[in-house]
Amino acid sequence: MKRWLMACALGLLLNGGTQAAGFEARPATPAPELKAQDLTGATRTLADYRGKVVLLNFWASWCPPCLREMPSMERLRLEMTGRPLAIVALDSAETPEEVNAYLSKMKLGFPILLDPDGSNTRRWKVFALPTTFLLDAQGRVRYVLTGPTEWDEGEALQAIESLLAELPTQSKQREPKPLTPQ
Amino acid sequence: MRIFKFLLLSIWACSFAAQADIPDYRAFPAEGARLLLWVASERGRAEPELQAAQQLAERGMAVWSLDPVSAFFLPQLPSSMDSVPAQDLADWLRAAQAGGKRVVVYAVSRAAVPVLRAAALLQPVERQQLCVLLMYPNLYTVAAPLAAPDFLDVGRLSGLQVRVLQPRRSAATPWLPGLLDHLEKQGASTSQVILENLREGYWMRETPTEFEMAESRRMDAMLLRELNDWGCQ
Repeated sequence: MKRWLMACALGLLLNGGTQAAGFEARPATPAPELKAQDLTGATRTLADYRGKVVLLNFWASWCPPCLREMPSMERLRLEMTGRPLAIVALDSAETPEEVNAYLSKMKLGFPILLDPDGSNTRRWKVFALPTTFLLDAQGRVRYVLTGPTEWDEGEALQAIESLLAELPTQSKQREPKPLTPQ
Repeated sequence: MRIFKFLLLSIWACSFAAQADIPDYRAFPAEGARLLLWVASERGRAEPELQAAQQLAERGMAVWSLDPVSAFFLPQLPSSMDSVPAQDLADWLRAAQAGGKRVVVYAVSRAAVPVLRAAALLQPVERQQLCVLLMYPNLYTVAAPLAAPDFLDVGRLSGLQVRVLQPRRSAATPWLPGLLDHLEKQGASTSQVILENLREGYWMRETPTEFEMAESRRMDAMLLRELNDWGCQ
């Protein structure tokens, strides 16, 4: 019965379903390897974000639910300025040209990584888009969400805040924002 | 009295229908040597699919179009496809082969499950004469993030020729090699074609791209092209 339900849920998602399956808290387990190039060609790994809570989002430019949640991720980035949260969006199995075509219409301030051969997608066992992992500052997977959400509110924000709250007091405090010239 | 007779007649007709082994399908006859058995997905049969079937018939390829969720009174869910009686579908395949035409089955999404199960029920010689074209097949039992995928056991497929049509713009595309491996372990001979710039179910999308709309209108040509390129004999 459980398998049938899983197959049902998967089928809906693979067919472009837009409903989030809900946040799934996971026992803290080390994250799989992430090794991908950003749009400048620099190689990025999870080590680049060590000491920060990481929101790792798997998406694609052809996926409407993925694009719908992007603005909320950008709002979250702005809201979290100075706090130890890294938002990273990994485009699954598309060319840089396809990704850039989308980014020319949608300005995002967080890093976009490329996975043209789908190797990271397979390593993280991502079967539906969007899928998002929340990692704690030790690089362990703590939450998984299959489907879109509004990242700057509700359950999503609570999950992120709960991981930030685990950090030592000094690092989770807001850094002073730079003064804006008048 | 008339009402009573009508009721009796209705009960007789219903009981006859319930005993029928072959599901209810829509036929598009043609004089050509090939017969395409088109099995719609768990979302039911969409209008562009019927149009493509009609166009194929006009181009000489007969089509039998089956909508399993409708034929078996099932909800429009992927899991419904797992409930389709494989024996009924096997009987349908045999009935198609008995007509003497070259039979190709074309199954969409989760419809791959009952079609492959039915193929597994055929005699080896019957199976070897069958060509199966699968459009973005969904054969998963479990596919959860961070967990290795698990595929349904559809039975032995030795001698069966399977070609997968996979729209590039799909979360399933990176997993296609694993799916083909699974089918080969079941005994099938496999090949694949990636359909560029298309998403799964592009002919029934709520917000299709212009290219998807155009491709929906020429699905008949796409299928003919792929069948001819494949050359499944």
